Amino acid sequence: MPLHTLQLTDFAWLVLLIIIIIYMIYDLYSRRPKRSITYTRETLVCTKCGLNVERDFEPGDFIGLVKGKCPSCGGNLKIKAIYSIEKTKK
Amino acid sequence: MDVSTIIQLIWILLFILLITGLNQRIQLKLWVFDIRTKLNTIRSLLEEDKAKTRGMLRNLGVEVPEAIIERVIEFFTIEPVEIEPVDIIKRMDHLLRTTEASVRKIVSSHLPSLGRHELSLIESSLSIVAALNIVYKVIRHYLLTGERENNFILIMQLEYLMPQVMRIAYTYHEALDSFMYGKPVGDGAGALVVYNLIERSEVKSRRVVDDTSVVEAYYKGRRLILVKAEGPGSNVGHPGAVISRIVEDLKGSINLIITIDASLKLEGEETGSISEGVGAAIGDPGPEKIAIERAATKYNIPLRALVVKMDLKEAITTMKKEIVEACERASILIERMIEELTPPNATIVIAGIGNTMGIPG
Ligand SMILES: [Zn+2]
Repeated sequence: MPLHTLQLTDFAWLVLLIIIIIYMIYDLYSRRPKRSITYTRETLVCTKCGLNVERDFEPGDFIGLVKGKCPSCGGNLKIKAIYSIEKTKK
Repeated sequence: MDVSTIIQLIWILLFILLITGLNQRIQLKLWVFDIRTKLNTIRSLLEEDKAKTRGMLRNLGVEVPEAIIERVIEFFTIEPVEIEPVDIIKRMDHLLRTTEASVRKIVSSHLPSLGRHELSLIESSLSIVAALNIVYKVIRHYLLTGERENNFILIMQLEYLMPQVMRIAYTYHEALDSFMYGKPVGDGAGALVVYNLIERSEVKSRRVVDDTSVVEAYYKGRRLILVKAEGPGSNVGHPGAVISRIVEDLKGSINLIITIDASLKLEGEETGSISEGVGAAIGDPGPEKIAIERAATKYNIPLRALVVKMDLKEAITTMKKEIVEACERASILIERMIEELTPPNATIVIAGIGNTMGIPG
């Protein structure tokens, strides 16, 4: 077999190998779940005027807890919902 | 030596590896390395979580938190004998209640001045650490066994199970934060739906039976008996036992029983989707569920169920906004079910199943 054809097949093998390795690395990283940060927020509702206020959760809070005064009318604010919000970090 | 000779040699080497089975040995080592790396990640999560609980206990004035932690996370319950099913539910119920009381006793003996709410959060946080500890110990056990015995199949199974195991480990790790601070979790969907219903109807009386709160209320001329775990501590209550007692007290004159619970969704289903059906929607090991079924069957009361779907992670970590919204929709659906299925003046038992952490009532 002439030398130049052999080199060509070798070269083809090498390219194939590199493609497979690149594909495997890509596959590994693309499947990795994206890390995300979650925040816990809460919605407070004024028992007098119905104003909605959204805030960060503080330890000790629970749904139904009366916490703070309404910024517009001075009525009591009651926690209506506590939930987490996810932010994906790239 | 030219390139083609090298290629030839590589082929020969590969052939030798194949026929001697050495390639499997190399594969095994690679898998073991990968599993060990992941196991180390689980261990660091476990150490971090233990440190967090230690910090929490120390802040509450416990001088040697390690003693409590080690005692609770290694606590076990032996399952009742199954080949003799007579009274197995009673025996299981007894064992479960004893476990509950014993863990509570261990924690409260170190923290006598603490309120029930805080105690429940500590118990639950410790049980999360215990769950992660078991994951770590079981994976370590199989890794060491597989490695010692060169068990290719065992290591292969473990390698392919690891993504799922890691997901569970991260889930527990994240859940600890919710339980330490008493944030509502996805599993509390049932409790939240009942809380919404309580808020919207005229409440006549409230009482607490067996860690479970029973609220009597009126809605559009119907008498509602609303059952949920007593909140806002981390508590699942004993809804089955309580419903069974209510049904007996009223001599079965109940028109409808509805149970609401969070249910695990299938991959691809949407979080927060709601389904209705028949049966007792409750995921306990048995005693509570059978109590509801028996009570309903004895007096021929229709037993309806409503579930809010989510995955395991969403169930034990802080409730997602989609689930909060789903609970709102579920409350409206329950009101419609009540109007459709029962005449005015009917008596309806509605039970919100699940951990009521962060949800009072
Ligand atoms: Zn206001």
